[in-house]
Amino acid sequence: MKTILKIALGIIAAIGGFLDIGDLVFTTQAGALFRYDLLWAVVLGVLGIGVYAEMSGRVAAVSGRPVFDVIRMRMGFGIGLVALVASTAINLLTVAAELGGIAIVLELLLDAPYSMFVVTAAIALVLIVALLPFGGIERIFGYGGLLLFVVVATVFHQNPDWGDVAHGFVPSLDSSALYLYFVVGVFAATLMPYEVHFYSSGAIEEGWTEQNLKENRLNAILGYGIGGILAVALVIVSGYLFHPIGVEPSDLGTVALPMQGAFGETGLLLALGGILFCVGGAAIDSSFAASYNLAQFLGWEWGRYQGPRKAPRFTASWLVFLAIGVAVAQSGINPVEITEYSVVFSVVALPLTYLPVLLIAGDRSFMSDFANGRIATFLGWLYFAVIVVLALAAVPLLLITNGGGG
Amino acid sequence: MRSKGEIYVVHRLLDEQICDSDGRRVGRVDDIELRGSPPRITALLVGEGLYPRRLPRWAARLARRISGPETWGSNALRIPWEEVDELSSTVKLRKKAEDLGLGMGDDPRRWIVGRLPWN
Amino acid sequence: MSGTSRKRVRSQALGLLAAALLLTSPGCGDLSNDELNRGVESLSALAAQGQLVANGVARDATKTTYARAMARTLGEEAEHEAEKLADATLEESETEDQRHAAVAVAGEISDLLSELQTFPGDERHGELVEKHLEEAQEKADAIVAQLSGDAP
Repeated sequence: MKTILKIALGIIAAIGGFLDIGDLVFTTQAGALFRYDLLWAVVLGVLGIGVYAEMSGRVAAVSGRPVFDVIRMRMGFGIGLVALVASTAINLLTVAAELGGIAIVLELLLDAPYSMFVVTAAIALVLIVALLPFGGIERIFGYGGLLLFVVVATVFHQNPDWGDVAHGFVPSLDSSALYLYFVVGVFAATLMPYEVHFYSSGAIEEGWTEQNLKENRLNAILGYGIGGILAVALVIVSGYLFHPIGVEPSDLGTVALPMQGAFGETGLLLALGGILFCVGGAAIDSSFAASYNLAQFLGWEWGRYQGPRKAPRFTASWLVFLAIGVAVAQSGINPVEITEYSVVFSVVALPLTYLPVLLIAGDRSFMSDFANGRIATFLGWLYFAVIVVLALAAVPLLLITNGGGG
Repeated sequence: MRSKGEIYVVHRLLDEQICDSDGRRVGRVDDIELRGSPPRITALLVGEGLYPRRLPRWAARLARRISGPETWGSNALRIPWEEVDELSSTVKLRKKAEDLGLGMGDDPRRWIVGRLPWN
Repeated sequence: MSGTSRKRVRSQALGLLAAALLLTSPGCGDLSNDELNRGVESLSALAAQGQLVANGVARDATKTTYARAMARTLGEEAEHEAEKLADATLEESETEDQRHAAVAVAGEISDLLSELQTFPGDERHGELVEKHLEEAQEKADAIVAQLSGDAP
């Protein structure tokens, strides 16, 4: 029993915040617009990130290579540079969105101006990273994110028509452009690559070897599975409350309304608290992912455990990325809008960072006995096909639906 | 005519991470120097000045403006092949970074950051 | 082409470009039936969300800072929608009545949310705002129905 608890806690800490602002925004909007019909897209995305994370973690453990090392090795300098530029730009948008998300939640809790909170949030994150050991940081944001289980409780409190809910897990392709846009959006929000890049770099920092492969698989299945459960719950509560009355969620605060409805102020506070930890964790993960990718591609020394003295360029780049995130978040654009762009563009660039990992994970000369087996190969290539299709459809759908505005 | 085995080595060696004798990361193999016939690897080349070479012609001009000229000692470094200790998942060198002029970008003496209190 | 006539062509082209930009920029363009519809639907959605917030206030089941911030954000959106609808020129002049009604409803919604913003802890106010927002939503839905009826 004790080891199960230890493993569970380890998984929770490893995955950090399960959801980020992209998940929160897209699941809530999907539920409000299409009730339970997009639940299958959430599951598809959760399986996808599990596949990507398991492969990246395995490659890191067996070959000692994080994602952007793999990208440069396998795709060469030219394509690798394109992947780096795209990934960095998207990560910066993501950082800005997450910082904006933190500021919104603080505004909802404390009612002081938003702009003050963006800078406060960034400074707080720098202090947290500088002063706390990283294991502690991961635990704080991981456990804090568990507050969002109030959403699961809300599902049971609402007691929706379970038949309708079950129906939502069956894939269906409505012909409306808006529906297809949300298929892409929900999938993309669930499969944000920065999470996997952060995870793979973390695996190397922890000194993972073949011994950690079981842990890697557990993280991929259970860790992201928990995120999946929360995302599914968000779609359901939003579909139950918002769909019948025609609410169009356009603010982060709207996400918490179902929990307020079910459990009053307590539910509201738990929901806002959970959102705060999830989005805070995501801000750290996305900003570090940007620095990891840059340093790994160029061959610099990197590592959150190295500190500024041993890895000054890595540390400096992290601070610069945070500063850029602050600037964008302060620019007056609604963080929810920034989120929509960061999510949609991330799926467009996803094939570039997914394919090299898939190729190396299946390459015996890098992976020896731990190369992709039959299931991993099948799932890996299946998801590559899915990702390519969605990547091609993403921007056209964004334009046709006017950013999901209809 | 290059032998197939050699092209594979160059292919695997290119873009590999380089570490010094202490295990510190000091850059990637940005290019490889081949001399003689049959060609032998004589040196590894590291530095931003080499990036324009790795890009298609149309991008190279812009890249040259950004990463600067490939003059040895500033924007590109030459590591003689003899300095390579072993090849595993990284290229491990015999000497420390300073002895070879590598890893200057991460040299703590060049950064104020190193002197901040939280270290 | 000589120098002066080339300059004239260029300034004519710029003039056309400027005109095109002005005509297509939001707020100065024509409001089609669909866009008017969309605008009123979003008013209905704002009213619906406002009711949920007001309901929380009415039951004393929410945090005042949350209710105030939500009311403010929603109110700003309603105001923005009101301005958009008021400023635009209509494609079909028959919809002028509906546009007028829509702007009025938007103003109502915005005022109600303002009240909620001012009194986020007052249960009585919450009840009243919730009730009036429901009425406003019904008005908005009625306008949407009229517009759909008018659509060819």
